[in-house]
Amino acid sequence: MIGLTPILLQTHPLEGWFFSSGKALVVLAVTLMLLVGFGIWMWRAEARLKKMERLLNPTESNKQ
Amino acid sequence: MAQNIWKTAGFALIAYVLIMVFAVPMGPGLLELRETGENTNEVVLGSNALEYHLTGFGTHWSEDPEQLQVILRSKKNLALLNVIEVLDDTHARIGLSLPYSLPSKSWDVLINHPIDGTLLLENGLFLSDRFVDESIVLPKVSIVEAEPNLPFHFPYQPSILETIRNLMLHVPMWFTMFVLMGIAFVASIRQLATPKAIAEDEKAEAAVKVGLLFGLLGLTTGSVWARFTWGAWWVDDPQLNGALVTVLVYSGYMVLRNSLESERLRARLSAVYNLFAFIILVILLMVLPRFSESLHPGKGGNPGFNSYDLDSALRAAFYPAVLGWILIGIWMYRINLRFTRLNKQLR
Repeated sequence: MIGLTPILLQTHPLEGWFFSSGKALVVLAVTLMLLVGFGIWMWRAEARLKKMERLLNPTESNKQ
Repeated sequence: MAQNIWKTAGFALIAYVLIMVFAVPMGPGLLELRETGENTNEVVLGSNALEYHLTGFGTHWSEDPEQLQVILRSKKNLALLNVIEVLDDTHARIGLSLPYSLPSKSWDVLINHPIDGTLLLENGLFLSDRFVDESIVLPKVSIVEAEPNLPFHFPYQPSILETIRNLMLHVPMWFTMFVLMGIAFVASIRQLATPKAIAEDEKAEAAVKVGLLFGLLGLTTGSVWARFTWGAWWVDDPQLNGALVTVLVYSGYMVLRNSLESERLRARLSAVYNLFAFIILVILLMVLPRFSESLHPGKGGNPGFNSYDLDSALRAAFYPAVLGWILIGIWMYRINLRFTRLNKQLR
């Protein structure tokens, strides 16, 4: 039967399983959650910075 | 509200790219044509034809098996091979019956299939036991190149295979680093033009910090990619070493800043250092790879990607990835800058 050769070994069996079993979609969902979490964290960090800038520089904030 | 659109756009683009990366399938390709050492039962040109196994990647040969055509090509010579049996979607038994004298020992292998289209395995067959006579012309074979009948897919590339998806993570890191280091470069020039103020120095510092983060991410994603395609976490290659040296040079910028007490002296010295760092970055990542052989894609004139490496399906994900990461990088830089300024005010 067909044996594994060095070239064939380049196709890792996990690759096919990862996509055919739908696990890729699970990883996609987790990655999207991490991305959204990172986005929210950035948004909140910026909002806090803005708040502190207003407290420290009220005149400049009014000009803006 | 309008100010925030580009920030949301950055994350929306990366979300779109991630969906593409994980949901778009790979296209088909050819892995190998290997001799089994067995003779087939058919007799051609006075001798038994040799049996070969053809192996595909993501192919659909069991659908329409009788339509599978296997062709050998050497310059203008074409030879149609006999498909003995299609074993499954990716494996087929092929009978090879070529004369002893041939115009070449090295042959490209092509297949034609109504679903997979025309696939090519360059130098897929080497017939070491044949006599080479370049004057020989094989009987003409008429073959029509077939277009694949498949949904949207990423292109098959030998040895890279599924790891091509890392393109959307690895390369945009370097693009983002370029942009951020460019911002730092401009800020350093402005700093030298206005030595009494340090506002531009703060910009340069914030941009280099975020740029370094993207550089480190570029090295990490590149190293993981190298492990799966070249078999090693790091290889002695001009492009890879150049990237590492660039990151080290910018790390030196941070060390220099932290070693100086005087704010004005720090601003001036760092600005001068940063000018040279950016020139080194351009030389090591954009100029040097053009003059040296490299394992990295695009060797011999183009340090990036050419039309072979980057087809339209990849571009549909790659360009949004570059834009998305750059927007996120700029947002990170702006937050970092504002944080640094507030921190100084509070001290």
